[in-house]
Amino acid sequence: MNSVVCIKRVPETAEATLKIAPDGKKLEEENLVFSLNDADNYALEQALLLQEEFDGDVTVISVGPPETDEIIRMALAKGATNAIRIHHDDISKLDASAVASLLAEQIKDLDYDVVFTGAFASDDAFSLVGTMLARKLEIPHITMAIEMKQDDEDEAEISRELEGGLIAKYRIKFPAVITVQTGMNEPRYASILGIKRASQKEVDVVDDPTIPENKVQLEKISYPPEGKKAEILSGTPEETSSRLAEILKQKGII
Amino acid sequence: MHKLLIKNELLGCIQCGRCSAGCPVSLRTALSPRKLIYKNLRESRKLPKSQDIWSCTTCRTCQQRCPKGVSVMDYIIGLRSYQVERGKIEPTMRDALESILKHGNPWGRPREKRTQWIDDETDVRILSEGEETDVLLYVGCTPAYDPEIQKSARALAKILNDADVDFAIIGNDESCCGNEVKRMGELGLFEMLVEENTALFKKYKFNTMITISPHCYNTFKNEYALDFEVLHYTQFLKKLLDEGKLQISASIDKKVVFHDPCFLGKQNDEYDAPRELLKYLLTDEDNLLEFGRNRERSLCCEGGGGRMWLEVESESPRNAEIRIDDAKSIGAEIVATSCPFCQLTLNDAVKTTKSEDKIRVVDICSLIAENKFEETEMEE
Repeated sequence: MNSVVCIKRVPETAEATLKIAPDGKKLEEENLVFSLNDADNYALEQALLLQEEFDGDVTVISVGPPETDEIIRMALAKGATNAIRIHHDDISKLDASAVASLLAEQIKDLDYDVVFTGAFASDDAFSLVGTMLARKLEIPHITMAIEMKQDDEDEAEISRELEGGLIAKYRIKFPAVITVQTGMNEPRYASILGIKRASQKEVDVVDDPTIPENKVQLEKISYPPEGKKAEILSGTPEETSSRLAEILKQKGII
Repeated sequence: MHKLLIKNELLGCIQCGRCSAGCPVSLRTALSPRKLIYKNLRESRKLPKSQDIWSCTTCRTCQQRCPKGVSVMDYIIGLRSYQVERGKIEPTMRDALESILKHGNPWGRPREKRTQWIDDETDVRILSEGEETDVLLYVGCTPAYDPEIQKSARALAKILNDADVDFAIIGNDESCCGNEVKRMGELGLFEMLVEENTALFKKYKFNTMITISPHCYNTFKNEYALDFEVLHYTQFLKKLLDEGKLQISASIDKKVVFHDPCFLGKQNDEYDAPRELLKYLLTDEDNLLEFGRNRERSLCCEGGGGRMWLEVESESPRNAEIRIDDAKSIGAEIVATSCPFCQLTLNDAVKTTKSEDKIRVVDICSLIAENKFEETEMEE
């Protein structure tokens, strides 16, 4: 069975000092480290696990500039068989609908059973591309998948995590789009030798795609307003832990 | 016959078991180097897929004790490299390796914060490309980022300044040395780091490099082809003492025992420099105690070989806990060491064995700095 995995190159922002670019619409990229979007990494792993069980191809597809090849090579090193990059100089200028259209345009002609995407991208956190892609491909979808059980190649049982810790189970017939939540599996490591070998593999570049019109325009990115200040407890571990326990009790948390 | 078996002289093995008997983790994990070799030679000449190899701390005791010259540790590292190539490694090790590729350190911290260990009271020059210094202080990832070990880096910088050493650091461009990377079996990433670091060092002019961690010292000294002298800081400070450039007056009247780091002792035969430094610090030389297992027989703390990023399951106490109990039983009040990993594992063990009021684990450079600059903030 064949899978397609949509992947995105995103900046690592957890510990980085973020600066907004002068145009107010994107981050300054200098000093930022880019990598494969976390949820997409789990989506890719799920496709590779299916490939190990049922054989078939895993095609990774991404929209972006040539630097995107870094994450594509990493995916190829992990075992993806084919790669497509839809060229675009600056993906921060595309909305989710435009990205979904670009992806759908390429995916529709592929021979696939499942399309995996990450549940959301860590940079814009729209969580929209997977759903919109399913609509454009006119196939069913399931979002936020945390478990996938599969006995045959035509359908699967998917679990989604709902609010309050509830788990909803679905059966879905392929072809379908599944957006994968982090934690669904344990992504494998791509060794440097593997990545170097993967650089010999061909990436199919769509050089001049027709760029669909944005339906949503980004107006401005700003820093969050300063809220209440954090209180830093000082003293010995005994003092700080009793003070912390006191505060938690006062707030009714414990 | 697989090339890994030939390269590491496995056919020479006489199954005497000295490797397993000396292995510091064979008592608390399923790893037995002798059995591993036996199975690989007798049962299948294919490489074993055993997960036990990940318990290895790459302390090198097995290889050092083998009477037949079998490269037991190198064989285990070789086995690891095949598992790394398949990508199926423990998530914590995966994250450490990916962090080294992305940020130049295994701790998942951004490169731009690599020099944050330098506080207002620490005077350290950061080299620009082409600049010159006599001594390059290679800080290393753990002293750069770990809040506890940052104290060692600051202490060493103070000592060097006080001794008027012309020294400097590379700053945020400094990257992981790769010692642990190689031992986790990620040989491709190690080669890449060797290439990049060698090119980086060429951008500056200096005569000697000193390291805080024996792990960095080991790989720079033995596994890179560098055209300058590499010293562990204990060796460098000993040299300063001998040349009369560093003064240490005896002030510690507690019983101190030195824990030999594997990568300074077993792997590089440096047992004396740290002990000499400690002797200068003690009011009574007889207060320098020795573990029953010391020098080349020193018990590994389990911090090497990537084990800082991998906890093994075991019913038995950790080696570091055994070490702290040993220290208590010989009446030591201070366990001195000269390795960031030993310091972290032993410090944890002090807490898990509830020995905080009996034992203090401290790096030699922090002890020296306390001794010299007592009025400053150098605290326990």
